[in-house]
Amino acid sequence: MKTNRRHFMKAGMAMSTALLADSALAQDTTLIPSRGPGEMIDSSVTYADRSPFVKDAKMRGSANGLSGGGFTPLQHSRGMVTPSGLHFEVHHSGVPEIDPSEHKLLIHGLVDDEKIFTMEDLLRFPSVSHFHFLECAGNGMGEWMGPRGKTVQQTHGLTSCSEWTGVPLKVLLNELGVRGDPKWLLAEGDDGARMTRSIPIWKAMDDAFLAYAQNGEFLRPEQGFPLRLIVPGFEGNMNVKWIRRLEVGDKPWWTHHENTEYADPRPKDEIRAFSFYMEARSVITSPSGGMKLNGPGFYEISGLGWSGAGTVSKVEISTDDGKTWQGASLQGPVLPKCHTRFTHPWRWDGKETTILSRCTDDTGYTQPTYDEMYKLQGPIGMMHNNAIQKWHVAQDGEITNVR
Amino acid sequence: MFAKHSKIITITAIATSLSFGALYATAQEKYGIGTSVGPDEIAKYDNDIHIDGTGLPEGSGNVALGREIYEYQCALCHGEKLEGVREMGAQTLHEGRRDIKKLPYATSLFDFIRRAMPLTDPGTLSNDEAYGLTAFLLVETGVINDPNLTLDAESVKAIKMPNRDKFIIDPASRFTAKDLEDK
Ligand code: HEC
Repeated sequence: MKTNRRHFMKAGMAMSTALLADSALAQDTTLIPSRGPGEMIDSSVTYADRSPFVKDAKMRGSANGLSGGGFTPLQHSRGMVTPSGLHFEVHHSGVPEIDPSEHKLLIHGLVDDEKIFTMEDLLRFPSVSHFHFLECAGNGMGEWMGPRGKTVQQTHGLTSCSEWTGVPLKVLLNELGVRGDPKWLLAEGDDGARMTRSIPIWKAMDDAFLAYAQNGEFLRPEQGFPLRLIVPGFEGNMNVKWIRRLEVGDKPWWTHHENTEYADPRPKDEIRAFSFYMEARSVITSPSGGMKLNGPGFYEISGLGWSGAGTVSKVEISTDDGKTWQGASLQGPVLPKCHTRFTHPWRWDGKETTILSRCTDDTGYTQPTYDEMYKLQGPIGMMHNNAIQKWHVAQDGEITNVR
Repeated sequence: MFAKHSKIITITAIATSLSFGALYATAQEKYGIGTSVGPDEIAKYDNDIHIDGTGLPEGSGNVALGREIYEYQCALCHGEKLEGVREMGAQTLHEGRRDIKKLPYATSLFDFIRRAMPLTDPGTLSNDEAYGLTAFLLVETGVINDPNLTLDAESVKAIKMPNRDKFIIDPASRFTAKDLEDK
């Protein structure tokens, strides 16, 4: 019955379009004819998809299917927000499927009142929403010994930026009342590996929060649904996903991840412990590796700057291999511990050159060169690689990574 | 009523500042959300090991037990000689970033094996097996030179890993030593 009526309507609409088309022809107009009506509104499609012409995709992979992740296609990013479906991901034990009605968070240890919270409980607390970038400590690890990635997705794709909404840890810890000499929290995920990291309590009391939403909707499974920790500006691994437990203690736990993978070797056989901050960094996302300029002329250089220690105060651009620098425009909003989009007008004269960007944050810290990084980290550093990225522009317009 | 109430708050505030400093103590309103739980319930969730050994379970395991489990359940990915099998995404446990010798505390090794390995079936090892695997890996990587090593809670706690004093807090890392004063 219903379908019949729709058919009828469709037929009627088709007829009136035909009439319109006829009268247009009669006027012998030079106007490009209308497309006619678009796709019928399909009420069975309740979550809209992208245009079939837009193909931006994560680069996803894992040798064993459980540890690994996916890189964000920064080369086509605009503005500062990463669509949730393109947000980078790194996993140590796959992506668990969790029913939010069964999920529980335990907070215990050095608190007066040890409590379990359901998701329903957590949604009742006063909430906050903040835009923050998340970056894997290993973003650009492969570039440490020399240029390897072809595109900015490969060289820098383990950083993304979202609006996160949830409950401040401060609110929860005050609700329970911390006691004794609390200095650290253990955060534990509910993935197969029960991933654990130690978080300093001053950070928990400062700006860390438990997020249940990202960009206006509940978290995506690979982003920790139904609950994840957001530790603004600190290395991605600490932003524990699928969080099930927080223990308040007086010492760090020195968990596996903070000791091996995420502790940085230093010169003289030393190891840098608890290197949490993702320091100021920037990269030109367009034009970038793998693209080709279509002859001399105007191009807008566009990229992202961010700092885990504060707010981006300036980004400088060099289009002559670092000989001279000019300030780029920062596109608002410019927020703390957040991706900041910068742009810079550029007229390419058709000659071979190298383009690069460097970022300074409001603590006065400026993004280092690889030479400077080597002095600090030694040749085996790898993690926390925030060095300046150079793109080579060949005479034919071809852009390549020279690091 | 009101006066009496604020007096109680003052007293609590002083008491708190004695132990914790006024830093985090606030008189925030309590929302009364969540369910209070006791030790029995907490024990169902609390599986981590502190560096002072708190949380290490009963049981024990020796190198022979560890080697047997390793061959059946771990070598597939980590390799016969701990060299790592690239195609399985596992790196060498002998050197570099994933080096077991790098760990400052053996409690972390036991904890990680028991919580996260084997990768495809985490959480299935018994406490004895996890102690045995810890013993096997510490002997194989040359941390402890005793082919008959048996480990239990007391002995894991007592191990001083060779790298413990090499962990530094780099001032340039913007993470101050204050945060670690009790390490
Ligand atoms: C299916 C492959 C696989 C199996 C089987 C496996 N592992 Fe692993 N193991 C891995 C991977 C991959 C990692 C790195 C995990 C990560 O990224 O968090 C790892 C990490 C480790 C680590 C920490 C060192 C490092 O690389 O970070 C230890 C120790 C370890 N495994 C021990 C074991 C033991 C003991 C067993 C047997 C009970 C075992 N593994 C079985 C794949 C495996």
